Amino acid sequence: MKKGVVIFAHNSREVDYALTSVVSGFLAKKNLEVPVTLISDTSTVEWMDKSNIYDKALRVFENIIEVDRPVYENSRVLHDGINSKTVPFINANRSDVWKLTPYDRTLMIDSDFLIFSKELSEFWDSDVDLMISPAMRDLRGDRIGYHDIWVSDEGIPLYWATTVMFTKNSKTRLFFDLVSFIKKNYSLFSEIYRFRNTIYRNDISFSIAKHIFDGYEFIQNNHLPEVLTAQDKDLIHSFYDSGLRILLSDPISESASSIVNLKGRDIHLMNKESIVRISQDILEKI
Amino acid sequence: MDEILKKALDFSQYNQTLNLQRKLLKEKLDSTLTYGHGGGVFKIDRSLIVFVQMLIDRDRKNKIPLIDANNNPIMIDDLEKFRDEIFDRYFSATLEYLSEYEKIKKSRTVEKLVDL
Repeated sequence: MKKGVVIFAHNSREVDYALTSVVSGFLAKKNLEVPVTLISDTSTVEWMDKSNIYDKALRVFENIIEVDRPVYENSRVLHDGINSKTVPFINANRSDVWKLTPYDRTLMIDSDFLIFSKELSEFWDSDVDLMISPAMRDLRGDRIGYHDIWVSDEGIPLYWATTVMFTKNSKTRLFFDLVSFIKKNYSLFSEIYRFRNTIYRNDISFSIAKHIFDGYEFIQNNHLPEVLTAQDKDLIHSFYDSGLRILLSDPISESASSIVNLKGRDIHLMNKESIVRISQDILEKI
Repeated sequence: MDEILKKALDFSQYNQTLNLQRKLLKEKLDSTLTYGHGGGVFKIDRSLIVFVQMLIDRDRKNKIPLIDANNNPIMIDDLEKFRDEIFDRYFSATLEYLSEYEKIKKSRTVEKLVDL
């Protein structure tokens, strides 16, 4: 059974997802010791060439698969420490991963998820066909909102599609077809599951699909580990071989109030600009 | 008074960092003790180790079903091999935990706590 990691990256005007995917791909390949495939689009790949990271990308990725750029374009306010801006993001084609992955067992990760441990390797040979992270775990511990846990005020638990592992078979194909259906009928599902549909969220589509798929129940087990997350107001202080130091923002003052040394732990970094700023330190290792 | 307040706030910041580092260290231990075997995922802890050793002591060594962390029954073909693997993982993880815990316990500044 061929195992591998898949990362999606479609650049927006504001965020260099191509660069973050090379960083994320490098760390996944190094620490999980499996090949990594990038799914991107022509303009993002051309940007890699222009920004002189294409050679590094070729060293990191086993395959670079070019697909049509998704038509859905969301925007949201993204912080970078105390600064913020409204940025577009294009990520509505994750449900295509089943068709696009070259692997029998795939771990799909976000390009802002950095792997520094082998923990996810323990799930490759699991008999469970589909595993998603059931929750986000805040790095500081006290900055989780209601809608980080639930799809809506009256809704179902929110899964985090930051990490998804699946075996390519007819059962998981049905799951990803269902995610695709939910995406196409997002407005309808927002009425049924009572969430705001102003932006498209993969996490919500995956959560609804999982809810339906599991017989309208929340199954308490057979998950990937919770996604340890640094908020977008947090800043990466420094990178070293086995981890990161991160400045954590205070939920009240919003300024950096403490620092943590995160050694040998996988981390979801919502502050993309912070990844871009330290990327040179990581690219030097490729 | 200002000096007392400054010292108190500095100490508070130190303690906040210390508590976070301790929490992260424990979470790292838990993640290292996640162990995939035979299609199941186990959490290595003292009760699993003792239970496995008890089975071996009673000469139950091959084709033994164990319940994994997800409550799935998993057939363990060679329980002695399984025992050796979880022993190794448990001791290397707890030794690393001890070593890093001792290091932060001795660190008296925020800089030392985060290895700067």
